[in-house]
Amino acid sequence: MCSQRKEFGTFRNKGPQAKDWAEMQQFRYGDGTSALRRRRGNGRASYGNFDRRSTRHEHSRHGLLSSHFPKDDSNAIKDFYEDRRVRYIPYVRQHHRSRGRGCDVHKSRVNVCRDPQLRDREMKMDTRDGTRQSWFKVTIPLGRTYDKTWLMNLIQCHCSVSFSPVDFHYIENRALFFVQGVSTASAIKDASNKIYDEENQKIRIFVNPSAVPYSVQNKFTPEQMKQLKLTMKKRYDVSQKALNLQKLRFDPDLMDHEIDIILNRRSCMVAALKIIERNFPELLSLNLQNNKLYKLDGLSDIVEKGPQVKILNLSENELKSIRELDKVKGLKLEELWLQGNPFCSKYADQSAYVSAIQDFFPKLLRLDGQELRPPTVNDIDLRKLVESCKESYKGSETLKNLILQFLQEYYLIYDYGERQGLLSAYHNEACFSLTIPLNAMDLDTSNLCEYFKYSRNLKTLKEPDLRRQLLKYTKRDIVDCLCVLPKTRHDCDTFVVDMWLQTEKMLCFSVNGVFKEIQGTSQGCVHAFTRTFIATPGSSTRLCIVNDHLFVRDARPDEIQSAFSIPVATPCSSSTSTLSQEHQRMAHAFSIQSGMKLQWAQKCLEDNEWNYSKAGQIFTVLQTQGKIPAEAFK
Amino acid sequence: MDKRRRALIRLYLDKATLVWNGNVVTGLDALNNFFEMLPSSEFQVNMLDCQPVHEQATQSQSTVLVVTSGTVKFDGNRQHYFNQNFLLTAQVSHNSTVWKIASDCFRFQDWANG
Repeated sequence: MCSQRKEFGTFRNKGPQAKDWAEMQQFRYGDGTSALRRRRGNGRASYGNFDRRSTRHEHSRHGLLSSHFPKDDSNAIKDFYEDRRVRYIPYVRQHHRSRGRGCDVHKSRVNVCRDPQLRDREMKMDTRDGTRQSWFKVTIPLGRTYDKTWLMNLIQCHCSVSFSPVDFHYIENRALFFVQGVSTASAIKDASNKIYDEENQKIRIFVNPSAVPYSVQNKFTPEQMKQLKLTMKKRYDVSQKALNLQKLRFDPDLMDHEIDIILNRRSCMVAALKIIERNFPELLSLNLQNNKLYKLDGLSDIVEKGPQVKILNLSENELKSIRELDKVKGLKLEELWLQGNPFCSKYADQSAYVSAIQDFFPKLLRLDGQELRPPTVNDIDLRKLVESCKESYKGSETLKNLILQFLQEYYLIYDYGERQGLLSAYHNEACFSLTIPLNAMDLDTSNLCEYFKYSRNLKTLKEPDLRRQLLKYTKRDIVDCLCVLPKTRHDCDTFVVDMWLQTEKMLCFSVNGVFKEIQGTSQGCVHAFTRTFIATPGSSTRLCIVNDHLFVRDARPDEIQSAFSIPVATPCSSSTSTLSQEHQRMAHAFSIQSGMKLQWAQKCLEDNEWNYSKAGQIFTVLQTQGKIPAEAFK
Repeated sequence: MDKRRRALIRLYLDKATLVWNGNVVTGLDALNNFFEMLPSSEFQVNMLDCQPVHEQATQSQSTVLVVTSGTVKFDGNRQHYFNQNFLLTAQVSHNSTVWKIASDCFRFQDWANG
């Protein structure tokens, strides 16, 4: 594996040759302006700016080979990689001729650079470029015989990751190119031995880590970079954090200094991004309109170098496929301009186009200057909103405990005790009503029929008399009604309580949960309920209910499943010391209602075969007879 | 809520609180932001019940407890059953009475599943 030093330790000092000049003269700018200018003594590179397909080259004072090669021309690239250690070789435009060296770049001798400072600087620059996403060299041993397009397509077909080969060239019999990214590299490696050529021979692919390939390296001298930085600073609006790089190539400053920034070229984009990273890391808006961008490979680093960018203008470029947006998908864009790119016209209508773009940037707010419908909160977001607050109570602990204790006692009595005992929980003039979400038609198929006759739904019930009747007023009426409702077992462990109002005199909270019926025709049925209580502070620390509303519905299968989970069975040492949960609760309820200590309550129940009402009666009789010792009470 | 979402905020008292699937939102500003953020909705109220709230709790401010239930579909999400309770309180001025929401508690019946 060749070390970095070897790669960049050799330089070629190229001087223009007469022949070359003549050839170069023929090329013109696309817009007809003059061709190549001579190299200036001040070290600025001079560029020929040619039609894309032709080759161009430039010369720098330091003898650095820093030509810009169009994508398709591999000759010069090959020259770079091959002829490293040879100096004063005139630029050759014909195809490869064997130099008889039989070595490739890895084995080149190291030549000492004339200008050690420059080399170091260059190496430093190169180590910074592309190290975040490392580069790999892909070698196909007998690749010389294959047509480039055919070969690339073949590899791509077998490769799970789509890649753009960089610096494809041939050296002797081999075909070589570079790719970026470990995942890409390994995907390509996987394709090795799985692809066959036209003679059904296996094609082998070797993949090795490499330094940054030639064309991606920063080709600009420090002075050029400085000028570029100045130019970009002029185009930067600090207040808006916006950088306008529209038609950057034709910026007068850059042209004056003969710095050719063709952003479609990787090296130029790399340079621009580097300046952004160092000078405008807070960049919010980037305008790349009208820069003849065909691909966005070079721009992909913007996700790291300008992570705050929210506004991106890529309009009036040459993007042929929407998939180019994949390369910048990491940006959290709010505004995007794409109009005037070839791929835009491929869409049947505007909404298909917008939809396609939203696939890449779901949170986009504006496209091509038009406001988009605000991003829809998808199921996941809504769920996050809901889940994040499972236990979000931020009020006082005492209040929470007060409510929890109230509920515990209430339901203990409601389930296991005598519901008459609930009288003390209610205000004299309390109200209660209940509703079930059914109408008469569904009654037959429902398990909620017991509740139906008490159900008060003002949407469906219009008779004022009945309306009034179903609203239970005064605690006596309420409790009478509660006593008539089926006996239940509530799953207190799965209660969810929303406390939604708290004032000095009033506390409103809603309990959501499930309960099971233990009697009657619907025995065993699990129902879900929402009970809303409005309470006011009562005597001591107790709550006094002023309003009570019960909503009962059929439980969903998932609710039934998660309810009443069986507690871990404790080993039973003696039958007297461990009570079933049911009995424990009954004892607890009895204790509350009678005012006796727990053990006494339990004893009373045991003596009466756990028949709650019977035990209650016995207790009342004994108490009036004064036969219960004082120590029995709490 | 469905058709004139922006007007919804006018129904709430300044210091009203909304508990939405456990999320506590207090004050008009926060409520405004919250309602703007929620996707557009289609509510269907199937059940409605109400009770007058005892003045002892409300300190003589006329208040009504309203309990509703039904289904709602938020844009981009599936349909959910919901339960919602409000406390409506009367704001009496010299010639008119305006009822405003003092508190609001909303929950999907299947909030656990999102």
